[in-house]
Amino acid sequence: MTEPIIQVSNLSFRYPGANEDVLTDVNVTINKGDFTAIIGSNGSGKSTFCKSLNGLIPHYYVGDYDGTVGINGKNTIQHSVAEIAANVGYVYQDFENQLVRPRVYDELVFSRMNFGFIDYHEKASEVIDLLNLHAIKNQYIWQLSGGQKHMVALASVLTMNPEIIIVDEPSAQLDPNNAVDIYKVLKMLNEQYGKTIIVIEHHTEFIANYCNQVLLMNKGELAWKYPVHKALNQVTDLLERNIFPPQVTQAAYQISPERYPYPITVDEAAKYFSTVPQYATATAPTEDRVNHSNRTALIDLQQVSHTYKTVDKSTKTVLENINLSFYEDDRVALVGGNGAGKSTLQKMLTGIQRPGQGSVLVLGRDTKNVSPEELSEFVTYIYQEPEKMFIADNIREDISYFLKSRDVPNHEAFVNDIIKQFHLEGLQDRDGRLLSGGQQRRASLAIGMAMRPEVILLDEPTASLDVSSRKEMIAMLEKLKKHVRVVIIATHDMELAAEWANRIVVMKAGQILADTNGRELFNNPFLMKQTGLKPPQITELSIKLSMQPSALHVTDFCQRLEHDQYELY
Amino acid sequence: MQSNIGPTNQQGQSQKLMVFVLSMALFGLGDLVTELVPDIGIGSIEFGVPYFGFIGLILVMLFNPLYAALGAAVGEVVFGDLLMGDFGGLGEIEGVLTLFIGLYIAGLLVKNLNSKFSIAIAGMVGIAVEQVLGGLADCIKVWVGVEDLEAIQGLPESIVILELVECSMEWVIAGVIVGIIPSIILIPKLHGKIEPLLGVKPRQGAYSQVAAGYLLVVSIAVFVGATLFGVIGEAIEIGAWEPDFIDQFGGWFVWVGMAIAAVVLIITLLLRPKSKQDFEHPKAG
Amino acid sequence: MNYIEKLLTNVSIDSLKLTLLRTAYVKKGSFLAQFDPRIVILWYSIFAILPWFVHNTTVLLLFFFTMVIIASLSRISGFILVMLSFTTFCNLISIIVLTFFLGGDIEAFLAILTLTLKLVTVALASVAVFASLDPEKFSDALLSFGLPGQVSFGVSYGYRMIPILIEEYHQIINSYRLRGRIPKKKGFLRWRQLFYMGKIAVLAFYPMILNTAKRTRTTVEALEVKGFTYALNHPEAKKLKLSYLKVRTKDIVLLASTCLFLSISFYIGSIYPL
Repeated sequence: MTEPIIQVSNLSFRYPGANEDVLTDVNVTINKGDFTAIIGSNGSGKSTFCKSLNGLIPHYYVGDYDGTVGINGKNTIQHSVAEIAANVGYVYQDFENQLVRPRVYDELVFSRMNFGFIDYHEKASEVIDLLNLHAIKNQYIWQLSGGQKHMVALASVLTMNPEIIIVDEPSAQLDPNNAVDIYKVLKMLNEQYGKTIIVIEHHTEFIANYCNQVLLMNKGELAWKYPVHKALNQVTDLLERNIFPPQVTQAAYQISPERYPYPITVDEAAKYFSTVPQYATATAPTEDRVNHSNRTALIDLQQVSHTYKTVDKSTKTVLENINLSFYEDDRVALVGGNGAGKSTLQKMLTGIQRPGQGSVLVLGRDTKNVSPEELSEFVTYIYQEPEKMFIADNIREDISYFLKSRDVPNHEAFVNDIIKQFHLEGLQDRDGRLLSGGQQRRASLAIGMAMRPEVILLDEPTASLDVSSRKEMIAMLEKLKKHVRVVIIATHDMELAAEWANRIVVMKAGQILADTNGRELFNNPFLMKQTGLKPPQITELSIKLSMQPSALHVTDFCQRLEHDQYELY
Repeated sequence: MQSNIGPTNQQGQSQKLMVFVLSMALFGLGDLVTELVPDIGIGSIEFGVPYFGFIGLILVMLFNPLYAALGAAVGEVVFGDLLMGDFGGLGEIEGVLTLFIGLYIAGLLVKNLNSKFSIAIAGMVGIAVEQVLGGLADCIKVWVGVEDLEAIQGLPESIVILELVECSMEWVIAGVIVGIIPSIILIPKLHGKIEPLLGVKPRQGAYSQVAAGYLLVVSIAVFVGATLFGVIGEAIEIGAWEPDFIDQFGGWFVWVGMAIAAVVLIITLLLRPKSKQDFEHPKAG
Repeated sequence: MNYIEKLLTNVSIDSLKLTLLRTAYVKKGSFLAQFDPRIVILWYSIFAILPWFVHNTTVLLLFFFTMVIIASLSRISGFILVMLSFTTFCNLISIIVLTFFLGGDIEAFLAILTLTLKLVTVALASVAVFASLDPEKFSDALLSFGLPGQVSFGVSYGYRMIPILIEEYHQIINSYRLRGRIPKKKGFLRWRQLFYMGKIAVLAFYPMILNTAKRTRTTVEALEVKGFTYALNHPEAKKLKLSYLKVRTKDIVLLASTCLFLSISFYIGSIYPL
């Protein structure tokens, strides 16, 4: 069944006042029932392209528009946004702000009611059944978690019963489990309801698992459109644009570029590497867990419990009897699902949050007795959302804010140093909010480092970064090791935890389940399942291949295969 | 097929909606914050922050003043009062109107966003209009609510005095301390930066309705003056307390008036030297 | 730790936020909530306007006690009642003091008392109404009264955004605190620290303004796609939206009993004037 549903011909677009086209002469056809991924580096025109599919371009965004976009044979320029909305649903990357009503149910009836359809109740109930939203349908939007909000945004789009659903970067803003949930729903819509799905995605592992077509955008042009397997095998093409193929594909490519086609999923890879007889065990780096017994703790949490009251007057426990110490040179990854208490634990260390019970000692100071301002001389906290870090009107001011407020003499030189170190020379006069995601992270890290902390706390430092910015971020984190005594990051990113941390603390429901390291954690399927964590793809593969101990990153994996002098032919 | 689509009506509409929504959310939030901070009250005169004047002033000056002022007024009712269940009834409705008029005037009056002087004058006048109208409305309410107000010894004067003191206090706090002072600091930082976020062109020079603004100011000033004199005049004429009231408190009134004038003058003088430069290079910065 | 710092700990700010959220979002089963919002607004406007024009103390007292009963049926939060009574009390005292200072006598005192009675009656009525009225219904009532769609949307959007905006504001304040320095010297009446906090409270709006502007853009774009503008230009959509608003028997009963109450009050007032 190859019936075209979207036909784009010679599409060019330029935003008013811009010097260059965002889209240049794009020609593409997307068939009914396809599950297409759009990839491309930042600024390649992915979002603009999608906005031209739902009619916001040219009806809402004015500019130089050339070419035609046909949706179901209808030229978008001749139909209003309202009419196109019935055919094309759009879930934003910034999905939280597309929810405009107070409650979930209100949101689900809103569109249909506005367009004057009498059956809005029926349609809303239908979608609630379909996505199983019964538990949250009467809740207020602000009470929902990020994953639930995304689901509601999708549900609200579905009430219009569109044939095409566009989802902008689902995996960027969601934690991995929620992203999987969304993809499962999209897959169901695609397979059972024949919906045409388009996702903008830079996580190639999701693309490999769910999509069947891939469209690569490059500087406003369509570079190519291939079926998924062929697309993800264009390793050089992708790497050139800072898009990283799945870890297993990278591994296969690194080991022998000639053995084509490369696998793109773990199962394929297991088959691909199944001829490997035996793996080197001795070559694996065997770092033992750091022995803490005879060292003094820099941070000490004793019997810390914390609760808060909810609106309906019930009490919720965030932390329950936590006993935990951190030592010199600890590089800790706090992992665990949403609501495990990771953020609260971090905030406890800044003094912003004080423990309900128990005591928190940071560098010998009881947080109950000192203000966050005083603690900030030693402890830095980096928010997950960089927007919350930018309090001055340009990056330079933000970086020097701490030093200025303390009248540190000659701070200019130090600020210059930091700016150089974090490659912010060209950006220092700009407002942090107007930078790209990767630049924002870099800037917020620089702000933190300018505080010359002994302890640095980061909340999800790699969330919503594209893969190249993520690499850059990890490199920055490596640099931190030299300057800071303790680094604690809260993260969902298992690859980061595996590659960077020397200690992993696993949390669930306010309790500590394990205090371990990457290899032990990923080789403990029971623990992984209990906390809903998923090891990095390459670790998963090495476990599948019974590699002992399992590989934590691609280089590790490749090296060990090479050490075996293993012949692939 | 080449089609260069100009700004359509739809586009303009949605930007107005954006300004409205933005102004409503921000002013509302500011109102909530000031409401949660306890006031230090001495009698009915509160040394608290009645509202964050600067939020409204910044938005009316940067964007379409009509929609920004409307948004601020609606935000004040919705966030601060309605949702907190603290709706002051009739006072609220007149509060919406006075706030809207005050902010709208401020937005129309401002001529040059690069000039601190221009911002300060527009802001102070705008909030002053709001306060005067509000005080007037309160007086009228009492006048209606108390039977034979004029016949009661001491009451009308005390109401008028209290209103005057309260309004001047609020004007100083909401209009100057958390009004024009933060506005002067923040507007230059936001100007040219926030507009692209909403997809609107930064405001250049005066709004086209500036003439209308002056007209509005003049007419309202005349109206206010007339009514104020009417109320006081009537009270003075009918009441039996005229002579000694003037004797005792005439000076008082003069002092309040002079104090306000002095504040305006000082601020004007403080800002004047710099702004002269700005006037010469209106496009700079 | 001094008083101001204590006030600024998360415990107290969190409880403040909680009070706010409870006031705004937990509105179940109060007396007035069961009626059609338009009727409630009508009912309210009677008790908001009428007292100003009534000069019979008996009638005013009857109004006042009725409002006390209705307000107590509306489960108003303690916070608001305390605020209300405190302001009223302060108002009363200051007018009385000033009036006597200006040569007033017992007659003036009585007049002020009557005025205060009116104020409190109106305030109680509004508190009762707006503590029990769901903002969504209120916004629909406004729409059906013919107010522009944007205003009614504003009400419900505010309702949607409050907790999120407050949370963000709080986090930005924290961001300032995590990099700033609280003055060591307290100053007279701790004015230095108060000034420090006040400055942060104001400056935190700078990031808020920009962040909110970013949000607004997506929101308005989404509104466009969701047919908000379409509905503004199509009266039948408005009709559909408001179709659930129905004046039922109990609404009529409310209005009728209000009329009955009014006439009885005025009758009693004319027989036993105070």
